[in-house]
Parts: sequence; C-alpha cells; structure tokens
Amino acid sequence: MSDKLLSAVAVLLAALIAGLGLFWHPEAPARPLPVPALPAGGDFTLQSAGGPVALADFRGKVVLLDFGYTYCPDICPTALAATAEAIEQLEPDERARFAALFVSVDPQRDTPARLREYTAFFHPAIVGVTGSAEQVADVARRYGAFYARQPADTAGGYVVDHSADLYVVDRDGRVVDKLAHGTPPVRIASALRRAMTTP
Amino acid sequence: MKKLSVLAAGLGLCALAIAADADRVSVVDPYVRLAPPNAMATGAFMVIRNAGERDVRVVRASNPASRITELHTHLHENGVMKMRPVPAIDIKAGGEAVLKPGGLHVMLIDLKAPLQEGGRLPITLEFADGSSLRVEAPVVRPTAGGMPMNRP
Repeated sequence: MSDKLLSAVAVLLAALIAGLGLFWHPEAPARPLPVPALPAGGDFTLQSAGGPVALADFRGKVVLLDFGYTYCPDICPTALAATAEAIEQLEPDERARFAALFVSVDPQRDTPARLREYTAFFHPAIVGVTGSAEQVADVARRYGAFYARQPADTAGGYVVDHSADLYVVDRDGRVVDKLAHGTPPVRIASALRRAMTTP
Repeated sequence: MKKLSVLAAGLGLCALAIAADADRVSVVDPYVRLAPPNAMATGAFMVIRNAGERDVRVVRASNPASRITELHTHLHENGVMKMRPVPAIDIKAGGEAVLKPGGLHVMLIDLKAPLQEGGRLPITLEFADGSSLRVEAPVVRPTAGGMPMNRP
C-alpha cells in the first residue's frame, strides 16, 4: 500500500519535472534592470517668465522634467546641478534636440520671474515654469510626482515634502524613463541619448 | 618637588574633567552651498567628529550671513523627501555626524546678502554644555555629487 503511494508520488514528481523541462524556459530578461512603472504624463501648459510654455512646444525634442521649488535648499539644487552636468555632457547637436523643464510645485512663493533666475543659476537651458495651484496639482498627478505642503516649526514658515524623480519625455511627448534622485549625471545623459535615438 | 607634581597631576585631572565638548570635537570638510540668486535659504555641510569619551550634542548653529540658522534633516520615505528641523545633532563618543546633501544640514534661512562663490563663511556650532566651535566653511557651487569636485 505505502509502496503504491510512493510510486504514485514518484510518477507525479517525474511528470512535474518533465513538464517544467518542456514548458518552462527561463531566459535572461532582455533588459536586466527593473523597469519602473511609468506614469501616463501628457501635455500641459504652464507659465514661464517668457510666457506660456506647453510640453507640445517641444514635440520632436526630448524633454527632461523635474518638479521642485526654489525654497528647497538641498534636494532641488542637487537635482538641478545633476541636470546641468548632464546637459554639459551632451554634444551641441544633442543639446539642440533637448529641453529641460523645472516645474515649481510652490506657486505661492515661486513667481515665473523668480524661477527664471533660479534655473539660470544652474544652466541657461533649464526653463522654470509654474501655474495655478490646480494646474500644478494636475500636472504633478499625471506624472506621479508627489508633493505636499507641510507646516513645520521652521523660520521658513512651511516646507514642501516632494518626490525628486526626473522624467524623460520622448519626441512624441511620452514618458519613457523615470530617474531616481541621485542618479549620476552620466546616467542622466545616457538616458537622454537613448530617448533621442530610439525610433 | 613632590608636592608640585601632585599639584600638577591634580590640575591635569581637573582639566580633563572640565574639558568642554568643543575641545573634543573636530570638523572636517565644511562647505556652504552657493545659493541661487534670490534664494531664501541654503545649506551648510560638514563632518563633525567626536574624539572624546562622552557623547556630545550640537544644539545650535549661527552664522553672520543669514538672519536665521536652523539644524535640519531629510527623511526619505518611499521616494518622498521630507525636510524637517531637528532640535539637536547628536555625536556619539568616538563617532561622527555626517552633514551632507539629502541628510542632516545646517540650514541658513533669510540670507542678508548673496553669498560669494569662493568666499568663506564662519559658522559657529554651539554644544549642549555651552561651549562652541567656529568653523570656516568655503562657499561652493552646488554639484550633483555630495562633495564638491573642486575642494579647496
């Protein structure tokens, strides 16, 4: 009796192994890096010091999108310095096919004029834009950028909690890459090149 | 003669006992980030080392360039950066506190005048025992890496 049970188990195991051998073909993934879930993104129009700026204005160019605020003394300067260093690594013909937008999520304190001064300090190619609280919230939501004004016991009055990813938008206006805060400039530049050369 | 050496030893012990926090602390690689024009705030960073056998605590910082100086940190939670003031920065005996972008920093709020690249800013750290230490921090442009490339 127990011999029968044992042979039944053996047959089942053999069938399982044979099945695995036949139907399971583990292969190295085509892209070894995990692909982060990309947000829907989409077009928007916000205000710069030089007038309205629409994402659609840059169709045909690759756009690097960054969310932040000028009062941010640490995370945003690091992100914008990384953006500036990545831009410097691009060849002139690559720069001509590229744009960088810094979206302020703190429109109460960041006027377009103030944003222009702020972004120009890092690189003249970076355009600072913002809009009404509703507009900014809509854009941030569609790109999966998180921000929340927090009361804090600081002389600054309040702080803004925020995500600090960079978004790469391709020539057709689609989000094709999301780069975590702290991504080295050389990897930002290669992500931009990839978006420029992908058909 | 013997009395003298006893006296000297006694004085030495006293000196050890009353050694201030600031005397046991050293600061390595301090720098202030050059603030963009009209920016209200910027950060100062450094490594604070405690060579003593007692924990020390930085309770306050001050500098002549900003009207307000606060101690801040950043919490990273699920990709969200949260900057928060902290009441103090603790440095364990024999340990160090690393103030760097994305983490602990001395926050300079409401700058009286723009900082000058290449300039130096004296920052005074005040410890829990009331002693203090003055640090000369060079002003450097923000970089993507934590540490400026062109260290003076």
